[in-house]
Amino acid sequence: MSAPAGQRTAFAARLGRLWARTWPPLLGVAILLGAWQLLYLVEFRPPWVFPSPGEVATSLVELARDPVSWSALGTTLTRGVVGFGLALLLGTALGIALSASRVLRSAIGSLLTGLQTMPSIAWFPFAILLFGLTEQAILFVVILGAVPSIANGLISGIDDVPPALVRTAHTLGARGFSMYRYVVVPAALPTYVAGLKQGWAFAWRSLMAGELLVVIAARPSLGVQMTFFREFADTAPLLATMIVILVIGMVVDGVLSRVSNRVRLRRGLGAVRL
Amino acid sequence: MAIRARGVTKLFGRGTDQVVALDGVDLEVAEGEFVCLLGRSGCGKSTLLSMIAGLTRPSEGEIDMGGRRVGMMFQDSNLFPWLTVEGNIHLALRLSGAPKDQWADRTAELLDMVHLPGMQLRRPHELSGGMRQRVALARSLAQDCQILLMDEPFAALDAITRDALHDQIERVWAERRLTIVFVTHNVREAARLGDRVVVMQPSPGRIAEEVRVPLARPRKMDDPLIATRAAALHDKLDKYHVIAEQGRTS
Repeated sequence: MSAPAGQRTAFAARLGRLWARTWPPLLGVAILLGAWQLLYLVEFRPPWVFPSPGEVATSLVELARDPVSWSALGTTLTRGVVGFGLALLLGTALGIALSASRVLRSAIGSLLTGLQTMPSIAWFPFAILLFGLTEQAILFVVILGAVPSIANGLISGIDDVPPALVRTAHTLGARGFSMYRYVVVPAALPTYVAGLKQGWAFAWRSLMAGELLVVIAARPSLGVQMTFFREFADTAPLLATMIVILVIGMVVDGVLSRVSNRVRLRRGLGAVRL
Repeated sequence: MAIRARGVTKLFGRGTDQVVALDGVDLEVAEGEFVCLLGRSGCGKSTLLSMIAGLTRPSEGEIDMGGRRVGMMFQDSNLFPWLTVEGNIHLALRLSGAPKDQWADRTAELLDMVHLPGMQLRRPHELSGGMRQRVALARSLAQDCQILLMDEPFAALDAITRDALHDQIERVWAERRLTIVFVTHNVREAARLGDRVVVMQPSPGRIAEEVRVPLARPRKMDDPLIATRAAALHDKLDKYHVIAEQGRTS
C-alpha cells in the first residue's frame, strides 16, 4: 500500500519549501569555495601558507578526532557561556537600575554608551596587570564587552514602552514591581533581545581576543590552539579552527534571531512584504 | 454619591506658559448613574477623567470616590500585544487579587458578556478594532470595578460597530449596576447613552451646563427623540464655544 496522495503531496511541498530556503546559502558557500580553490590553484601564495579547501576539510576531520581539541572547544565554550551569562545578569540589572533612576542615568548613561564604542581588546593590558594571565582576566573583558549592549538594549526598550500601556496598567492596579514584571519588561522584550544579540557578538569577539592574548599554561582553548598553529606555520588546522569559531558564533546568533523573530511575530510586528 | 469632585483645578506648565486646563470644577455622580462629559477638544474632559482615575493629581481641589474600585477604557484598546486575549484578562484578574483557580471561569464569563465567546487564545493584532475594544471592556470589568471611566472609547470605530457597542455597554451597565463617566465630543453619543450630560466649555475648562436625558432604556440611536436631544446639545456646544472664543479675544 502506498501513502495517501494528499500526504505525499504535502511531503513534497515541505521538501520544496526546504529546498527554496537552503539553495541560496548553499550556492553562496559553493561560490566562496570555488573562488578559494581557484586562488589556491593559481598559487597566489605558496601552498604551505595558503592551503586548499580540501586540506582544511581534512584538518577539520583530524581535529575532530583529537581529544585535545575537544577539550579546547569545551574550555572556550564554557568561558563564553559563563561570561555571557554573567554579562546578561549584570547588564539586565544595570539596565533596570538606569531606567528607573534618573540620577543614575545622567551619572553613567553616556559613559555606558561610550564603553560600547570602546574596542574591548583595549582593556586587556589593564586586565592582565590586574588579574595576571588568568581566567578572571578573560572573563573581566568578556563581561565588559557585552554588558553595555545588553544594558543599553534594555534601557532603550524601556524608553520606548508606549506610555498608553503604562497608564492602562496603572488603571488595572499595576504598581512598582508588578508594573515592571508584567508590563514594562515584557513590552521592552523585542529591543532587549536585539541587545542580547549584539551583546553576544561583542562577548564572542572579546573572548577570542582574550584567548589569543591571555595564554594560560596547560589549558588548551581555541585561542591557544590558533596561537600554536601559527607558531608552527600550520595553516590548514588554523583555518579549520577559525571555521569552528565562525560556526559557533553563527549558531548562537541564529538561536537568538529565532527567539527575536518569534517574539516579534507573536505581537504582530513581523516584517510585512507587500 | 459614587464620585464627588470639589473645586478641581488643573494647571499645566509654569510661568507664562501656564495653561489652566480645568478651573474649579464641581461634579457629583450618583451610584449607578451614567454621566456623559461632552465638549470640544481642549475643554479638559479627559483631564478630569484622568484625575478621577488617579493617573494625575489635581492642582487644587479634591476628588472622593469613597474607596470604590475604578476601571478605565481609552480611545485605543491598549491591549498588551504580547499577551493573548485570555492573558490580558488574566493579568487584570491577577492584579486585582482574584484567586488563580477562578481565572479560567471568570474569563469565559466575561468574554460571553462582551459577545466574544471562545476568543481566549487569539492575539490582539488578529482582532478588529471593535473586537479589541470589547476585550478591553472585558478586561476593565475583570477587576470588578464599581466605577467605569470611558475616554472616547468608541471614537475610532465605524458607525455600525459603534451602535452595537452602545447597546452592549448599556446592557453591561444595567446588569452590573455600574457607575459610568463617559467622555465624548459626539452629541448623539451623549444623548444616546447618558442619564445626564455635563456640557463643558474650553479655556479654561469648566462645566457650562448639565442636561438631564429622561428617555426610557434600552434606547436606540435612530430614535427621533435622541436626534432632537442631540440637536439641542449641539446648539449648546456652539454657544459655549463662541462664548469662550469671545472671552479669549477680549
